[in-house]
Amino acid sequence: MAYLTLSNISKQFGDSYAVENFNLDIEKGEFVSFLGPSGCGKTTTLRVVAGFEIPTSGMITLGGVDITDKAPNQRNVGMIFQAYALFPNMTVSQNIGFGLRIHKEPESAIKQRVDEMLSLINLEKHADKYPYQLSGGQQQRVALARALANRPQVLLLDEPLSALDAKIRVSLRAEIRAIQKRLGITAIFVTHDQEEALSISDRIVVMYEGKAEQVGTPFEIYNFPKTQFVANFVGSLNNADAEVLDPTNGLLSVDGVQFRTADAEMVNRRRGDKVRISIRPERFSFAAEPLKDNVVDCLIENITFLGSVVRIQVKIGNTKFNMDTFNNPFLDLPAIGSKEQVMCSKEAVLVLGTA
Amino acid sequence: MNLSRYHITRRTGDRRGFSFWSWIWFFLGALYFILPLYATLDFSLRMERDKISLLAYQKAFAAPEFLKTFIYSNVLAVITIFVSILVIVPAAYWIRLRLPEARRVIEYITILSIVIPAIVLAHGLNTVYGAPIKIPFTDVALTGAILNTRFGTNFVVVMGYTVLALPLMYRSIDTGMRTVDVLTLTEAAQSLGANWFTIITRVILPNLRGSLLSGALLTFAIVVGEVTISTVLYVQTFSPYLWLLGQHRAYEPAALSFASFLMIWASMGIIQLVTGGQGQTSSAR
Repeated sequence: MAYLTLSNISKQFGDSYAVENFNLDIEKGEFVSFLGPSGCGKTTTLRVVAGFEIPTSGMITLGGVDITDKAPNQRNVGMIFQAYALFPNMTVSQNIGFGLRIHKEPESAIKQRVDEMLSLINLEKHADKYPYQLSGGQQQRVALARALANRPQVLLLDEPLSALDAKIRVSLRAEIRAIQKRLGITAIFVTHDQEEALSISDRIVVMYEGKAEQVGTPFEIYNFPKTQFVANFVGSLNNADAEVLDPTNGLLSVDGVQFRTADAEMVNRRRGDKVRISIRPERFSFAAEPLKDNVVDCLIENITFLGSVVRIQVKIGNTKFNMDTFNNPFLDLPAIGSKEQVMCSKEAVLVLGTA
Repeated sequence: MNLSRYHITRRTGDRRGFSFWSWIWFFLGALYFILPLYATLDFSLRMERDKISLLAYQKAFAAPEFLKTFIYSNVLAVITIFVSILVIVPAAYWIRLRLPEARRVIEYITILSIVIPAIVLAHGLNTVYGAPIKIPFTDVALTGAILNTRFGTNFVVVMGYTVLALPLMYRSIDTGMRTVDVLTLTEAAQSLGANWFTIITRVILPNLRGSLLSGALLTFAIVVGEVTISTVLYVQTFSPYLWLLGQHRAYEPAALSFASFLMIWASMGIIQLVTGGQGQTSSAR
């Protein structure tokens, strides 16, 4: 049995479902991210685990114990908020020791644990400061230490990096992941930032309209999206309408240009079916091996420099596609308006639905 | 681009030109407040003919009735503050936390004491609690007249004062709760294992220090200056004493009025000191 299980969780507000029949098993020590756009139900699901929302139906077990009806203060669950939520009237040490004092631990044990936590977040010198004297990043580290001081069974992080600037966000997410791994604590991380989710998680739950669209490792989610929504939400994507020419051999036509796909579901389709195909921009490259799959003629329409990546807009048939290539100072880019050949593997051509 | 910069400079310049008039208006406004105060102070110091002295103050403070009524008013004010905090903090907290849609209704209720004249409240209290409380439509008395006992009278007076202070106290506390984001702090404390009592006493109340003090001092000022309820319910508080004194004496009421002003200014100073510090805290965050 999994360490944390969410079985058929639904949460209804009025007539609409914020979360609907949500199922998830999380193993001990696993770092799982809930990823999705605003209003997809990710925060509601997290709040259900925390006990701040009572599910309309379903059951949550933690370590084999049913905690569905337990009050938030009886769940041994640590929570980190987007707005830090440090107690302004308490110093850093007092904030970290708050939960331990609630549990009436001896003063010596509290001091020892607070010192341990301060050392964990490298803020020993700030122990006597008040929250307003710290930067956003430091405050969130204190919030992390405060949540961990109680030795919670699960750590819940509700968009903890959203209020921070880009550089701090990247360094703090690495720090959170390192601490989580070191302590082996089970964590659920809510974010709408795909890069954050991809970089930090053992598994990602992509959510849409209250449901889990796909659960998988970051590699699976990015490379093998199961739905159009997941493919579009995670990473950039080229979408095009296509017609099935030969289902057995995975042959498709986009505006008369033939593409081959490795999609296993193609055998269930019929010749003439209209489908929607998706290709990631980085899966295209200029054709150096003409005998490979999907070598097609194209017209270079535009070139955009994006820093580490150069995005080239090409026209294949009547359809525009983006193609990404890593930047390097000696990159030999084609001229705008020139005719070239680009290629992609048949595995790169994803068939994610009917057009 | 340059043109717009020019306009900005001109506007800034205009603003500087107007600062002269700003000072004029400020000066006139200040005169409006300071002149009567100065006149009161000046008058209170001229009890002795052709001589500036504190005789009026000495006489006013030496009167046994002054100390008695002043202490009585202060005690009532302190009790009113405690009752207000006890009633309003949990109510405002719960409304913010669980019943945000009820906020407008509650705000409307709290301003009723401003809309309805104090004399109506005072007579209402006198009528209801000045007679035995009976079971409706019967002659069966549940209690005697509450206003017949000293404790009962004090109880009714404090409740009346609490109603009068409600709009100021409620708004002070509600604003404080908005500033500290009570919802998130509550959830953070809950996730750390705290129960409701701990959350209110150790997380919410300490973070409302500024707004509580501000509400408390405003309540204090209302209670100490209140005349209507005290007069109708026949309680000898400071303000009716001051009014009575004004009927017979000239200089002592002026002295006590000025002393009251000083007391209120001191209160405002304390509010500034405490809430000013909290304002800095918030902005630093």
